[in-house]
Amino acid sequence: MTTIEDKIEESKKLGMQIVKESEDDRLMTLSVGPQHPGSGHFRFVIKVDGDYIVYCDPDPGYVHRGDEKMCEYRNVIQNIPHLERPVIHDSNNITYSYSLAVEELVGIEVPRRGQFIRAIASELNRQVYTLYWLAIYGIFLGHSTMFMWPAGDRELFIDLLEALTGARVTHAFNIPGGVRNDIPEGFKDRCLRNVGYFEKRLKEYEDIFYNNPLFRQRTEGVGILQKEDAIKLGVTGSVLRASGVPYDIRKVEPYDVYNEIDFNVQYMRTGDSFARSYVPFLDMKESCHIIRQLLDKMPKSGEVRAKLQPNPKGPPNEAYRRVESGRGALGYYVVSDGTPKPYRVKISVGSFRNILALPFLLVGSRMADMPSIYWSLNYWPVEADR
Amino acid sequence: MEASDSGITNPDSKDTLTSSYPKPSAAASPAYSSSSLSTAAAFIRAIESGSKHLLIKRFTFRYPEQKLKFVGDGYQFDPKRGVGIAGYRGRHILYHDKCTGCQLCSIACEGIAEAIGMVKVDEKWDQNKKSIMPQIDYGKCVFCGLCVDACPFYALSMTNDYELSAFTKEHLIYTPAQLAIKPKYEGDVVLQVEDWKGSEGQDVTTTEGAKKGIRRGIKGASHGHV
Repeated sequence: MTTIEDKIEESKKLGMQIVKESEDDRLMTLSVGPQHPGSGHFRFVIKVDGDYIVYCDPDPGYVHRGDEKMCEYRNVIQNIPHLERPVIHDSNNITYSYSLAVEELVGIEVPRRGQFIRAIASELNRQVYTLYWLAIYGIFLGHSTMFMWPAGDRELFIDLLEALTGARVTHAFNIPGGVRNDIPEGFKDRCLRNVGYFEKRLKEYEDIFYNNPLFRQRTEGVGILQKEDAIKLGVTGSVLRASGVPYDIRKVEPYDVYNEIDFNVQYMRTGDSFARSYVPFLDMKESCHIIRQLLDKMPKSGEVRAKLQPNPKGPPNEAYRRVESGRGALGYYVVSDGTPKPYRVKISVGSFRNILALPFLLVGSRMADMPSIYWSLNYWPVEADR
Repeated sequence: MEASDSGITNPDSKDTLTSSYPKPSAAASPAYSSSSLSTAAAFIRAIESGSKHLLIKRFTFRYPEQKLKFVGDGYQFDPKRGVGIAGYRGRHILYHDKCTGCQLCSIACEGIAEAIGMVKVDEKWDQNKKSIMPQIDYGKCVFCGLCVDACPFYALSMTNDYELSAFTKEHLIYTPAQLAIKPKYEGDVVLQVEDWKGSEGQDVTTTEGAKKGIRRGIKGASHGHV
């Protein structure tokens, strides 16, 4: 009887070589990304054993642009247009915490009407971001209608922000000292109409997507992140709230006027992909509620922007302020050495924290669950790379 | 969907943080998997909510023939009050009779886009002894409007013109003479949701639309697909 060893010997005599199958040959290494839209501008290497993922190595940094270093060569106002580039769909929130930190350093008080306007702008922008994310989540789970609908309804909020700030996506609206302009005429009426219409649409989203049995089967019980693990990994935002921790910066550390607003922190306990996708949806509902209250409570007239020098500077000091963005806590650590240019700016983003949970959730799950887990993490590669 | 089914809890209740984590099997039990009848009902509801949109007027309009109407004449800045005036941030407009050639717009653009350069002009103005005025490269401009905020003489503001395509890069550089031209922009379409109550509480549902079962529409847009 010929054994495999005999065949190998025989093949060597013939000048060929048969190599014995090793353990590693069972596993196939796949690179997801960085250019295929399956992952955005981000690569993660996975190894699959049959249909199961046994290894995952996230590799961020493909779109690193050195935003933090760029801050050191510009004064605080000139930093605003490039700081919103990492996440242009949420550009009001990413400049919000920067403005708060610089205001603390320079020591200026924002007028009350200005505080309300930038809170409205940041809530509208949160809707824009969440709808964009929902569209991507829908298309990667094979639901084309859920790509078209949020992408279309997003225009409602983009139109509002265009009337308010003058730009459709990159607003450059928040500035240390307040906002750049007052709200235009008829904005409140238009805003209430669009928000009211959008709330009706959310019910349809629930029918066609969240209560759709196909979507439920692909997400429920998939990629469960336990509460204790979520806290240990340090995830934030909707990922943390989906695992049963009611943690929202707007509630925990209220900034500007959020301590006057009556709203609930939306969270779920199950911690699976469905919960991570449903919590942003609940946030959108709550955001509509917040926008109405902000419009009601806003002072009828007043200043919107504190008077500021062209090159504002404060004493040598440091400040750390954070806000709740569409992807979780977004903090800025700004150090000033007394010159108009910051000595150091550190951006702490929610995306980078959330991706730490990816290898944790992917290993052991099936290949087909990969998009439903990855996109539910609310990860924005460009923001994570900065 | 019941609130308790999906694990949504009242955030005000204290027990949420201390209670133990539910078993994954409990989480993975949708209301539909228990009976095939409710699964079918959910499918039918999903198809119904999508298919009724076949009859509804769409949010799209025919772009080159119809254009969006913007708020105001473009973003402007009031240096006396220190705040801007809301408006669309399109291409700039330069008022030659007010520009002093102080270069503050050019300095404001440094480190942002570096799109503004000061060039010599042939005109003679009393306030502009050096006869220099900004020229803007729209291949670089990011339309942040901080140059408008920097102008203390009301000489530079922005307009509603966003159609800036050109065949060469050189054509994207606008000279002071080109920047002085007021753009011809006539927007007519107002995208507005018509079927919801305005801020004053009155119902703005169009009766005609309600009769036809149209639940939303756009003021001014054509009926491309009905």
